[in-house]
Amino acid sequence: MSRALSLAALIVAYALVARLVSRPDIVPPPAHVAEAFAALVARGYQPPASEEHQHHHHSSEQVDTLLQQGVTLQASLAVTTGRVLFGLAVGLPLGILVGLVMGFWRRADDYLHPVYVLLRSVPPLALITYIMLWLGHSEAHRLIPIVYAVAVTAVIPTYHGVRDIAGKYVVAARSLGAHGRLLLGKVVLPAASPAILGGLRYSVAIAWMTAVGAEMLMAENGMGNLLVGGGMWSSRLQTRSDPAVIIVGILALAAAGWAMDFAARTFAARLTRWAR
Amino acid sequence: MMRSVKVRRAIVALATLAVAYGIAAEIGRRTLPDRVWLGAHYVENVKLLPTWGALAEEGAFLIESRILPGSIAVSTTRVFLGLLLGSVAGILLGLLTGWAARIESLADPWVTFFQYTPALALLPLYVVWFGYGEASKILLIATNVAVITLLGAHQGVRGVPRVYLDAAASLGAGPWLRFRKIVLPAAFPAIFASVRIAAGLAWVTIVVAELIDARMPSLGYLLALSGAYPRIPTMLIGIATVGALVLVFDLLALLLHARATRWMGRAG
Repeated sequence: MSRALSLAALIVAYALVARLVSRPDIVPPPAHVAEAFAALVARGYQPPASEEHQHHHHSSEQVDTLLQQGVTLQASLAVTTGRVLFGLAVGLPLGILVGLVMGFWRRADDYLHPVYVLLRSVPPLALITYIMLWLGHSEAHRLIPIVYAVAVTAVIPTYHGVRDIAGKYVVAARSLGAHGRLLLGKVVLPAASPAILGGLRYSVAIAWMTAVGAEMLMAENGMGNLLVGGGMWSSRLQTRSDPAVIIVGILALAAAGWAMDFAARTFAARLTRWAR
Repeated sequence: MMRSVKVRRAIVALATLAVAYGIAAEIGRRTLPDRVWLGAHYVENVKLLPTWGALAEEGAFLIESRILPGSIAVSTTRVFLGLLLGSVAGILLGLLTGWAARIESLADPWVTFFQYTPALALLPLYVVWFGYGEASKILLIATNVAVITLLGAHQGVRGVPRVYLDAAASLGAGPWLRFRKIVLPAAFPAIFASVRIAAGLAWVTIVVAELIDARMPSLGYLLALSGAYPRIPTMLIGIATVGALVLVFDLLALLLHARATRWMGRAG
């Protein structure tokens, strides 16, 4: 209740600021944002023949360009969501595996940890051009940075989760004769799973951030393209963007990010119900 | 004793990595194509895996020509300012929302909104609002940092066991004393952890943010330029430099943390 109220207050406050500044090209009033939203969504299923109201007050260069290219909000969001999901699907198992190995075998940790620290330090977005030179201009240089970012992020909670398991669990299981797969599957993994799943939220957030960044730098589709027109790496963002479109994009991203975080939390809570 | 084994193994691992790269580069020099198809055109004379020698040569050139030191100085300054500005704002707000429940419900929608917004998406908006110059880059980093540290400080304050506060209150400690002597120290680890994460993300942000109004001494543009030509040794040295700076920031943060929590008297 109070949340809804303060959300309404937020919108009213923004509208007031927009009116005070009265520069729609810098701070677009909510009406402009709504129009940009309608224009970006409607293009998807509105037959182009409907010529009755061509009088939208707010028609910017960026909206027109996007509409000409057939870009819609929902399609862009779907593309980005797909990339995020791919990054999570490949990156999470990879990161969790490395985290398990490093957390469980001290010897492997001694050797792998320094290498991991080096890899972790490299911002994934800095790798885009190098990947492109190896694999050509393709989907790979958008997906690999996301996978990389997710994997590197998923290692940490897994590692600490495995490390922090009370030593007596492992000792007790060992003294009862459990080892190898049994020990890993029945003791270590379940005991570490709250930490692993708790870290899922960070991976989701990082995946979105990297996906949008990669698309802003070089992609012809997705939310990053909607925001800056793609290929910033070469064009260096010389064009002045329309803030209404950007606000629509940011709101959509915030909503999608929230939805995925919610799903991750629900999923984690279900899987670790036994822990409470 | 344990420590020396750890250090020896770390050295072995890193040395193996270096040697493996050297061998791969040597093999790659003969077998990898030096002509790369880039979607629209071929790029000639590309060395996908430059040898250590080529990297050293390029590194010497970049340092001698003052390109690399200048870029490091400019980018580090931006990251540092953004980190400082963002963490001061974020920690203060987080302490406030954690301490005063009424402010929390007021700030909650803002926090939720920023929490789920990939900070890079704000970049075009900041360009419109704050121009192409220094301000939009630093403020973008600061926003990113502020969101993370706000959550860290908020959760840190909320995680302080109620008993501590009640015990202190029953001994006659006023709100300010309780805040200073109990809440702040108890929340510190959480705050610190968030600053560490934020520092890493600040470097991710700068790589992209420096492509707006891109000018030469800056690591982001150095990476972009070396990708456009392409000049792979420069690119790899640029990537390694950013990685090294992330590492240095992290080590500094850890050092600071160790100093600030000496009172906890942890072992090892």
